[in-house]
Amino acid sequence: MFLALREMRRAKVRFGLLISAIGLLVLLILAQQALQNGLITSFIGAIERQSAPVLVYSVDGQRTFQGSIITPPLEKKILSTEGIGKSGRIGQGTFSVRLNDATDDSDAAIIGYTDPAVGAPDQLTSGWLPNGPGEGVGSDTDFSIGDRVKILGPGGPGQQTETIEVVGLADDAQLQVTPTLFVEWPDYLASVKSNNPDAGAVLPSAIGVAPVAGLDAATLAERINDSSPEADALPKQEAADQTPGVAEVKQSFQVIFLLFGLVVPLVTGLFFLIITLQKSASLILLRAIGASTGLLVRSLLFQVLLVIGGGLAIGIAFYTPLSQAQVGDIKLSFDVQAVITWSVILLVLGMLSALVAARRVLAVDPIEATTGEGGR
Amino acid sequence: MTETSPENDGSGATGTAAQANTPALEMEGVRKVYEVADEEVVALDHAELIVGSNEIIALVGPSGSGKTTLCSIAGGILSPTEGKVIVGGNDISGYSAKQLTEFRRDSVGFVFQTVNLIPFLTARENLLVVDEISGRDRKRANKRADQLLEELGLADRAGNLPSQLSGGQKQRVAIGRSLMNEPSLVLFDEPTSALDTKLGDQMVELIREEMKSRGTAAIIVTHDERITGYADRTVHITDGRLEA
Ligand SMILES: Nc1ncnc2c1ncn2[C@@H]1O[C@H](COP(=O)(O)OP(=O)(O)OP(=O)(O)O)[C@@H](O)[C@H]1O
Ligand SMILES: [Mg+2]
Repeated sequence: MFLALREMRRAKVRFGLLISAIGLLVLLILAQQALQNGLITSFIGAIERQSAPVLVYSVDGQRTFQGSIITPPLEKKILSTEGIGKSGRIGQGTFSVRLNDATDDSDAAIIGYTDPAVGAPDQLTSGWLPNGPGEGVGSDTDFSIGDRVKILGPGGPGQQTETIEVVGLADDAQLQVTPTLFVEWPDYLASVKSNNPDAGAVLPSAIGVAPVAGLDAATLAERINDSSPEADALPKQEAADQTPGVAEVKQSFQVIFLLFGLVVPLVTGLFFLIITLQKSASLILLRAIGASTGLLVRSLLFQVLLVIGGGLAIGIAFYTPLSQAQVGDIKLSFDVQAVITWSVILLVLGMLSALVAARRVLAVDPIEATTGEGGR
Repeated sequence: MTETSPENDGSGATGTAAQANTPALEMEGVRKVYEVADEEVVALDHAELIVGSNEIIALVGPSGSGKTTLCSIAGGILSPTEGKVIVGGNDISGYSAKQLTEFRRDSVGFVFQTVNLIPFLTARENLLVVDEISGRDRKRANKRADQLLEELGLADRAGNLPSQLSGGQKQRVAIGRSLMNEPSLVLFDEPTSALDTKLGDQMVELIREEMKSRGTAAIIVTHDERITGYADRTVHITDGRLEA
């Protein structure tokens, strides 16, 4: 690989520019990926974070807590399905709140549950789950332990209303890009009443269920759907993915990824084709003095590997600090999976793109060294 | 130099005693025909040539007479249309492309008419590349390259890129390159064409020294009759036909 390295060393600027360009593209790809993940997580993180393996909405609820209402007959039907191990009500509302001593209002989503095993966060980053009235777990990007969140009512700031103290924090726990609190059912009811004292009976937005041992979530969801045409049961991950808007967000990012995924091999392929053509005289000479085509192609692929590897290293190096940032309400995170996947994809595509240049190398005819063709 | 025992089981490359008696090159009835747009160009016709194991031959002829074609065939870059080519006792006429590549790598040296150096390698690296492509012992290669550069008066230019060398220096690097694989036959295709008369003479003198000190055979192509004085024997070629 002496040849490959020497050539790169003597053309530092050229290769340096290419590696930087690929590094920039890698950074853009990973940043977009982080943005997509951050966006989706702040959109539906709470659904993934809550503990019920199956969520049951009402059919006309469009697979959102906001739109879905479980009427008592529907609830009865759902609960009569065979195979339910645990079940609980889940309610959700978005309220105007005031945080601690703040003087202006903000919004918070409050999710209430009756059974922590099917509705509370499945994992906390600190603190504990509520174990008394007036306590809640907050999304860790928005709250700190000890925060007091006052639900605002129609009567203005003087009105006696529900206040929730944050006793635990969960990450990736936002709903609809809004600060989110998980509370026990009575606090959820109190929040709704504070906000609207005239509200009648408060119905759950969804039912969280867990299958009995030995039954998987998908089968249970199917059974519930079969038992009532009104019920729309989904395993947790599907419920998250099928939240309206998620697919659209993913699709638009996919277009961006596709473009980037094409640009990287296009740039590398073209670059190596050009330098292969430019150094054809050297390739002819090498072939004439007995270099095998295999050696020359290997040397080319080695350069591609170094260039893409270097680009990946640069891109990832810049992505690492960037991934710790927060863009508005959206928290980014270092996505190991994305880094590995993109590294593999770009390496493979880069190698494939170099095949055009490799074909030129294979076509080099050593006889041209004698006629002086290579000299031109 | 008239022994006719070309077939020696292909072992001639290793035994030095055998090598001393084996001609460096034997061409028997070699013919090369190029087909260009339905027309046949006979570049070489019934060529018979024996080059002794340490003989220097001057190949002289007008432009287009087939000099480069002959060298290309002798060096395994081109396959003859007809005839036998035996280099160092090995019949290469039937070699596959892969065998020819290995043959060029291991057994012959070339100094081409035009391009000889790789622009992104220094003078020394242009020599080392020969060993690099054959994957031989690097330590020995380093020593050999330094020794050759010294002999060719290029020791202080070893780190220069071709663009930083004069025409004569480039040509000397090319000569060094052609000797790196310790060939038994070196083919020089007009090594002096780009040089002025004085420099050309020096170059051929240098070639003669290098060949004679190693006992290596060489064919030096030229149009320049003066240069033939440095050769052991001159062979003329016109329209693809050799005449002694
Ligand atoms: N690839 C080719 N295709 C067709 N004809 C060729 C080819 N190469 C050489 N020829 C022809 O073969 C003949 C011999 O060419 P060659 O290159 O061997 O001449 P030369 O003696 O080396 O000439 P010069 O002194 O100009 O280098 C010429 O007539 C040339 O036109
Ligand atoms: Mg010629």
